[in-house]
Amino acid sequence: MFRYLKKYWLYALLAPLFMIGEVLMDLVQPQLMSTIIDEGVLGLSNQNVGDLGLVIVTGLKMIGFVAIGGLCGVLCGVFTNICSQNFGNDMRKAAFRRVMALSFEQTDQFSTGSLVTRVTNDVTQIQNMVAQCIRGFVRNVMLFGGGIVCMLTLDLSFGVVVACAFPFLLICVVFFISRVNPLFSLLQKKLDRVNSVMQENVSGSRVVKAYVRENYEKERFGKANQDLVDTQLRILTIFSYMTPIMNIVLNLSVVAVIYTGSIRVQEGGVTPGNVMAAITYLSQILNSVMMFAMIFQTVSRGLASYKRLSEVLECEPVIADGETERVPAGGGMVEFKDVSFSYPGSRGESVLSHINLTIRPGETLAILGATGSGKSSLVNLIPRFYDATEGQVLVDGVDVKNYKLGKLRERVAVALQKSELFSVTIRENIRWGRDGASDQELREAASDAQAAEFIESKPEGYDTMVAEKGMSLSGGQKQRLSISRALLKKAEILIFDDSTSALDLKTEAKLYEALRTKYPDVTKIIIAQRIASVKGADRIAVLDNGRIAACDTHEKLMESCSIYQDIYRSQLKADSEPGVSGNETPADPAAVVTQ
Amino acid sequence: MADTNKQAPPQNVPMPGRRGPRGPMIVEKPKEGKKTLGRLLQYFEKEKGMVAGLLGIVVVLVACSVYAPRLQSEAIDRITDGQFSELPAVLIVMLILYGINGASTLIQSLLSAQLSQRIVKRMREDLFDKIVNLPIKYLDTHPHGDIMSRMTNDVENISGTVSQSLSSLVSGILTIIGTVFMMVWLCPQLALLSCVTVILTIFASSYLSRKMKLFFRKRQVLLGNLNGTVEEMVTGYKTVVAYNHQNKVVEEFEQTSDELTKVGIIAESFGGSMGPVMNVINNIGFVIIAAFGGYFAIHGIISIGVISAFIVYAKQFGRPINEIAQLYGQIQTAIAGAERVFSIMDEQEEDKSGERGMDGTKGVISFRNVNFSYVPGKQVLYDFNLDIYAGHKVALVGATGSGKTTVVNLLMRFYDIDSGEILIDGVNIKDIECAKLRASTAIVLQDTVLFSDTIRNNLKYSNPQASDEEMERAAKMSNCHRMITRLAKGYDTELTESGQNLSQGQRQLLSIARAFLADPKILILDEATSSVDTRTEQHIQDAMVNLMKDRTSVIIAHRLSTIRDADFIVVLDQGRIVETGNHEELIAKQGRYYELYMTQFAGNAI
Repeated sequence: MFRYLKKYWLYALLAPLFMIGEVLMDLVQPQLMSTIIDEGVLGLSNQNVGDLGLVIVTGLKMIGFVAIGGLCGVLCGVFTNICSQNFGNDMRKAAFRRVMALSFEQTDQFSTGSLVTRVTNDVTQIQNMVAQCIRGFVRNVMLFGGGIVCMLTLDLSFGVVVACAFPFLLICVVFFISRVNPLFSLLQKKLDRVNSVMQENVSGSRVVKAYVRENYEKERFGKANQDLVDTQLRILTIFSYMTPIMNIVLNLSVVAVIYTGSIRVQEGGVTPGNVMAAITYLSQILNSVMMFAMIFQTVSRGLASYKRLSEVLECEPVIADGETERVPAGGGMVEFKDVSFSYPGSRGESVLSHINLTIRPGETLAILGATGSGKSSLVNLIPRFYDATEGQVLVDGVDVKNYKLGKLRERVAVALQKSELFSVTIRENIRWGRDGASDQELREAASDAQAAEFIESKPEGYDTMVAEKGMSLSGGQKQRLSISRALLKKAEILIFDDSTSALDLKTEAKLYEALRTKYPDVTKIIIAQRIASVKGADRIAVLDNGRIAACDTHEKLMESCSIYQDIYRSQLKADSEPGVSGNETPADPAAVVTQ
Repeated sequence: MADTNKQAPPQNVPMPGRRGPRGPMIVEKPKEGKKTLGRLLQYFEKEKGMVAGLLGIVVVLVACSVYAPRLQSEAIDRITDGQFSELPAVLIVMLILYGINGASTLIQSLLSAQLSQRIVKRMREDLFDKIVNLPIKYLDTHPHGDIMSRMTNDVENISGTVSQSLSSLVSGILTIIGTVFMMVWLCPQLALLSCVTVILTIFASSYLSRKMKLFFRKRQVLLGNLNGTVEEMVTGYKTVVAYNHQNKVVEEFEQTSDELTKVGIIAESFGGSMGPVMNVINNIGFVIIAAFGGYFAIHGIISIGVISAFIVYAKQFGRPINEIAQLYGQIQTAIAGAERVFSIMDEQEEDKSGERGMDGTKGVISFRNVNFSYVPGKQVLYDFNLDIYAGHKVALVGATGSGKTTVVNLLMRFYDIDSGEILIDGVNIKDIECAKLRASTAIVLQDTVLFSDTIRNNLKYSNPQASDEEMERAAKMSNCHRMITRLAKGYDTELTESGQNLSQGQRQLLSIARAFLADPKILILDEATSSVDTRTEQHIQDAMVNLMKDRTSVIIAHRLSTIRDADFIVVLDQGRIVETGNHEELIAKQGRYYELYMTQFAGNAI
């Protein structure tokens, strides 16, 4: 943390200095007031004859001091903000930069949501902590310490009051905080529950209505709501006791100061002005104790955030650049040599084992297999989203680990099943594929991806904004946009990671036709679930439990590969077993259609 | 110069993470402020007793805080005048007053906590009741995040502000009145002078907060942008990496971040200067009081104690003015929130009219000349006619957007048709009691909806009266009994939110079992297009076949086997029926179905 603060040490130093100035002025003020009362008004040292001149002179002095104090306070605030916000900014940038450099196994571990909170929320918490420490902490130490010193210089007897009140207040603060803190996490849970019932009802409304369970849902919500309200009330009740008790302690102390003051005035030890000053100091001291409680909370939250953030900052990307500067001329050949892979942290459960596969430049290779058979894992190894556990993955004869990451990924374009779109225009989304692509190229890519038609039918065409996470688009449209993006990249290797699953087969067929005729030199690797999608590929690799069961053309596989035949049968069941439907009777009069 | 309750205004419950109003909040302007406020007050009407109690306590509190400085000044006077024997009596009164003050603060806090929670609870319930009864159309056409935020943010905001501001407002006004009264009573001349401070306070605070508002609003926008960027880029990280966009993304982020910092520093610096500036003004007021007070005291017009009391009063006077100014903004924001909440509450509820029962239904469905559009002018179904006989399986086939899902929406009365009629056993569904209609029709949707509850409750969702045996039988028929019993807690396994601890296929099986348990006469199946592995796929297929036995089934079909098994196939194209018949007939016809079949199922060569 101090690494980041170091840059702003000057501000971090100036802020408390000005703060000291401000507090000193605050502390001087009751003294001056006491002078005004005792000397100016009462004229204690002047046979009880007041001195209005003194009142005015001291008064102006006071205003001067206060103005200086105020200026110090403003400057302290400015410097604190410069320091803490720039510090927060640096941390935020460092954190985001690091997140953008992490390898997938690491982002998987953190989970998306938690990474987002760390970069946004946690940074703010740390920033608050720094600001609080620079300003609040120093201020309160000064007020507390200075207040006690000033009070004791007025008269030692006042110290007794402080000594009695202070521990009591401290115990109160600690007690309440320790009681309330655990309730907050409980409150969060109850709140989540209410939100989740609500969410389920909003997104699952069809099911609720279809089964006529509106009343049941009301009951369920009512229970969650009651729970939340109860917890909230428990917290509020505790707080309700806190404030008056604190107030009473403070007020009792005031009474005590007046009482002891009166005794000391009788003895001639102090003046009435001193008593008034003492009351001011007292409230300053006790206030600072309560402020400490708040600072303590900010700091403990900030430290927890800092711990979470440093987990990110200290996370070194596992997958780093290779050494080779020289890039082979290319063509787009991909080779898997005895490749095995298991996800990091999965205790060695291998996803791929001993894969040997060569994909020739310009070839269309389809990969077919059940969920979990390792299809995505296999293609993830090509742009080094993950590293193979054993064996080698080669692109154009060079081990992918030897490439500079940027250079390697330039050669590979991937369209994912879950198309990730960004909330910019459609044009900009596609242009992600290649900066500087012309509109002509962009339109061509879209038309090859069978997206041009629906884009152009929109009133704003390519300038249509893609709403949050592509909400305004259908699944198939999103996939076609992400395919357009991949095509625009004009990479040597094109990977469709199940990215046509939401397209109807007619559109899919047109897309593949466009790929075949317009991108003949590109190596195409296509993951799919439907046999119909992959039939036309040059070769089909059938993955089964992380092994390549077979790799051949559709016709050959139909002859020799039993797994392939199984899949074929389950998808086109009726073709091979004409009897199952049991409904060969023609023209059932049961259903009549008129148009 | 003690200030009775300066350190923590009781109205402000200190919640972690919710820091006091540093800098003004972003104030939204409500459109129909008065009307909304009126409706909001209706919520308080039911808590009349509590509101009255709260107001009563506030009066006591204000009286205490107005009178306490006077007592303090008396005590100081006793010391100054050397009347020490009279001091204890004053101190005892002070103690009593502080005791009353403490007790009232406590009661006030407890009351306002109760009040706010009661109101927020009722409001949440009302809103939820409304949402449950809204037509599907509303939920389909409004972003869910927006609806959710009305429930979470707006309701919370309203209750917090309203219950807080109620006592603050009253106590603020009363304090001002009381203080002015006391000041004038003690010394009218000094009271007049104190006004200088007050005017200065108002000027300074309104100037500063106007300045601040500008920057705080700008900061809010930038912060929103920043968070949005982070969220989007982290979620879409794979794409960022795949296209080598890391550096570009980081650069953009850093630009926003730098700008945010700049604006943030200015905004916070303005916010931070509020305190010192007020401090200076307060002290100017103090000096004025001391100087003139001293002058008056020397001339014997007032006592020393009065000066000390005035100092406290002057402070007490400025605070509620600031508070009320701030409250105004808060109240505006809350009312804007309330407007959003009420706008949902004002939505028309689902039309559930109809009285006829559906006992002994056979399940004959007829569509007669049905026209329908989701949005006026964009017709989805044109003159749609279809008869489905009891116990038959009808497959709806067609491209996306051809109107398949619409047919289902209409049959369940999720939407009402524009013209024509839909009949079940010859009865118009508009005349059938909505609950009865839906209870005798079960749907299995593409996107499986499960609730965060036990598997048992999820299955029995369709039929709460079902026995455990019936439930298990349904599970067995749907091929998921074994899968469930293999889970550590079996049927009592809690599903996480939207059932994410089960695979897609398993979730589909559960939703089939749920439909089974409903034992409906009519079944609507929306086949999932999403891909599951072959074995689960087989399980699902078999379960569906089981489920369809002896029921009138309408299937939005994607799988060839389902279509081939259907008694009757309806080919839809752009809201019109283009072909009907069974598989063989339609193949023989070599029409639209044949074309569809050849491209979609037999291969991609056309």
